[in-house]
Amino acid sequence: MNDSQPIEAATTSIQVPSGAPDAKTRRYDRQLRLWAASGQAALESARVLVFPATATATSILKNLVLPGLGHFTLMDDEIVTGADAGNNFFLDGFKSIGKFRAQEAVKGLMEMNDGVDGVADTRNIQEVLKSGAQWLKSFNVVIAHNVDSVILEDLAALLWPDTHLVVVNSAGFLAEFSIHYREHQVIESHAETSASLRIDQAFPALLEYTMSLPLETMDITDHAHIPYPVILVRALEEWRREREQAIGPSSGKGYPATSAEKKAFKERIRAMMRKFDEENFEEAEAQAFKCWTPTVIPLEVKELFDLYPPSSSTSSSPTAFAGLVSALSQFSQNNPASPQYPSGLLPITPTLPDMKSSTEEYVKLQKLYRAQSEKEKQVFREYLNKSLVDVDDATINLFLKNSHALKVLKGREWKESDPGPRELLTDKLTSCPKEAATHLALAALRKLKAKDKPDRESLKDLLTAEAQTFLPSGTELPEPEWPIASGEIARAPSADLPTTAAFLGGLVAQEVIKMITKQYIPISAGNAASSENDQLGVCVVDLVETWTGTL
Amino acid sequence: MADAQENHDWEGRYYHIDQILDAPGPRTDEGFMAGEGVKDFLRNQAKILVIGAGGLGCEILANLALSGFKDIHVIDMDTIDISNLNRQFLFRQKDVGKSKAIVAAEFIMNRVPGIKVTPYFGKIQDKDNDYYLQFNLVICGLDSVEARRWINATLVNLVDPENPESLKPLIDGGTEGFKGQARVILPTITSCYECSLDMLNKPTAFPICTIANTPRLPEHCIEWASVLEWPRVHGDKKMDTDDPDHITWLYTIAAARAKEFNIEGVTWSLTQGVVKNIIPAIASTNAIIAASCCNEAFKIATSSAAYLNNYFMLIGIEGVYSYTFEHEKKSNCPVCGGDSVSLSIKPDMTLEELIDLLTERQDIQIKNPSLSTPTKQLYLRAPPQLEEATRPNLFKTMSSLIPDGGEVTVTAGTLPFSLSLDISYT
Repeated sequence: MNDSQPIEAATTSIQVPSGAPDAKTRRYDRQLRLWAASGQAALESARVLVFPATATATSILKNLVLPGLGHFTLMDDEIVTGADAGNNFFLDGFKSIGKFRAQEAVKGLMEMNDGVDGVADTRNIQEVLKSGAQWLKSFNVVIAHNVDSVILEDLAALLWPDTHLVVVNSAGFLAEFSIHYREHQVIESHAETSASLRIDQAFPALLEYTMSLPLETMDITDHAHIPYPVILVRALEEWRREREQAIGPSSGKGYPATSAEKKAFKERIRAMMRKFDEENFEEAEAQAFKCWTPTVIPLEVKELFDLYPPSSSTSSSPTAFAGLVSALSQFSQNNPASPQYPSGLLPITPTLPDMKSSTEEYVKLQKLYRAQSEKEKQVFREYLNKSLVDVDDATINLFLKNSHALKVLKGREWKESDPGPRELLTDKLTSCPKEAATHLALAALRKLKAKDKPDRESLKDLLTAEAQTFLPSGTELPEPEWPIASGEIARAPSADLPTTAAFLGGLVAQEVIKMITKQYIPISAGNAASSENDQLGVCVVDLVETWTGTL
Repeated sequence: MADAQENHDWEGRYYHIDQILDAPGPRTDEGFMAGEGVKDFLRNQAKILVIGAGGLGCEILANLALSGFKDIHVIDMDTIDISNLNRQFLFRQKDVGKSKAIVAAEFIMNRVPGIKVTPYFGKIQDKDNDYYLQFNLVICGLDSVEARRWINATLVNLVDPENPESLKPLIDGGTEGFKGQARVILPTITSCYECSLDMLNKPTAFPICTIANTPRLPEHCIEWASVLEWPRVHGDKKMDTDDPDHITWLYTIAAARAKEFNIEGVTWSLTQGVVKNIIPAIASTNAIIAASCCNEAFKIATSSAAYLNNYFMLIGIEGVYSYTFEHEKKSNCPVCGGDSVSLSIKPDMTLEELIDLLTERQDIQIKNPSLSTPTKQLYLRAPPQLEEATRPNLFKTMSSLIPDGGEVTVTAGTLPFSLSLDISYT
């Protein structure tokens, strides 16, 4: 970056460092714009195990190899059949028939990105589980496609909770997957809601600046360039002062509440205009709702304060995230940097959205927010120091920037969600019959496969009988959803269709990338801090009607 | 070995797919001909066109080949860039600079035996109606709105009610970051691409006065460098956004302006992103959307199961959220509807202002239109003599040009359809 260069030199000379990216950055440019260098680094240091080498498994891997996963192992002790050669793009057609499935598929996958370390493991998973199981825990994520419940049970018990287990099932046009983790913390949720500008609770420097402006007498051009937060803070403060005079001292922190008051407030803003076409005032009028939208701590963030109480962080050795949340909790109770409004606030955002304004006024306002943000960061730091966790400055900044959109998810242990608690399943059969029927049908198929090779003719009945065992006795399976789901599976019980495989390949890889980068929000069984709206944490796919749903 | 596999349909090749093709499912139409008939149609008769061999196109080609389509055509005018390699998985470093359509076709034919992929390295507009008539289905994986509007209108115009074969189902996919959509268009029967034009996000455009006078964001500084400074300094020399030296020049200028105005955040990468209007793109989203498109193609070609009616929208930012719905046909769609668009305007609006309105309206978005009434030309872009002759009309008021309730026909050279407007005055 050459931003220290004087402007003359910068414009007349091309001797400046170009800043042009290197080959690797260019290769990954389109994804770096989503998860940035930090997400990329996480991806590049992750280790993933996938088994067996089905079309779905290699499709998932393809979407992890392309963006630059660190390492993958593909485990499979089987030999390529004609059926494999026909539906798996990463095998070399009939030339692969008779060779190890894992080895052939890894060759095809590795061609796509030489920055990835890929290994074919031709051992049997059950053998590995018997001897050398600890090695399985060296992976961050283990992905199993159409694996029967007996193997899954052993595997899940071994991996829980440190290695995430992803269970993927499909048959014909139907599919589902789930991720098994205890808790997943997300700082960078990439939420679309932006942080509050605290118009209703202006910090002292902003209030002071706002009230100091000679609105009536200042240069008319400058007047047309006052940013809308300044206009709103001013209008609200004047409104409050008038109200205090009229009603009494305790009324000085309110805001327009009735629709008549809101309408009058908007008119007040209009009346502040000195020319009819001042766009900044029009913008302020459009944003006036910010005055009567109190700045509060989002419920989901508040719930985290109970999840990581300050006391627990002093007793044992807290994780960085727990320490950060507990510092945030203390900050929200007492923030001396905002003496008028010392509690109920999250640290203020240092960045402003774009708004109608001159450069000068905009930068001035930005500096005020930044200075306040620095002050509050110091307060936050002091709380954090007491919690004895060691967090680098970059993480603190990231945490503060995203503090309004923090997310902590919970998952379920495999055992518990195979296929799920009876009451929850019964509920879901009523509230989401399509999704629940599909989920039950796939679970029933998995159970049947573990027992025996099911006979196709009677498969529909077998599936129904098996599904009943997951439910309280007497539970009725939904019509027409159950006959449809079980009928689809009976039609193609062992079909790993290329398009279903590709669809799942994208979905599962997407969720695994979210887990690994700790960015964006993966599927879950709910919020870790709340038992409301508990879910199974399963994503279901139907490619006849083409929908996805979560249970 | 290869001789023994003459038709390449080795034993078990279609083990997975044939489970679907050998028997109907609970949601299969009665007309489904399970067994050899449908297999023969899919593998020996169906001819499918793929438009775009990029992020979606690569995935689409691989899926179609594995699904059993054997006669595939692909059109793409682009060449391979290094930034494609994070998702366009049929391309390697050594292919950079080559035609996407040709490299992709060769890759598929090498990898999946017995498939014929015919590439065309060029524009969809190069091809005529007879070319499009030869296909049973068209799948689009495009990143351009203009190209989609063109192929959509072309396929709608192709429909001849006397000839059912002339109706070519169009399956369209699109992605942006973690979001995407797939849809099935049955030209003239279901909602078409043009019907849903107003669903597109409005592109961010910065007012020129912000760029020139009151920059606040790094993007404003970059626009200043590319929109104002480049032509001022370089005159007629065209800016090439694929040339890293040009981006570096813009970056340097933008960074200097940002420094002057105390604005932070101008980087090389942001500069490139703004001037090229880069849309983030990842392998996983492309895989989902392309799979969905090909799945619909497979179901439509084989009648083996009900197909998407008609729009699947995916948002993968928070969990897996998707929404499947029927997008409704618009009766005044300029492409597939019969009705004209009613436009109520002020009588003193000038023709030039009307043209601006047509360009900006989300549901119209016609660039550089020519306008006429059934009896006279209002404004024509070409030829130059007519442009000159009709130019004075631009500054006249609409009410002086046409009466209340009058009809105006709008055409644009880039689109194969015309829009008729019913003008009324307020």
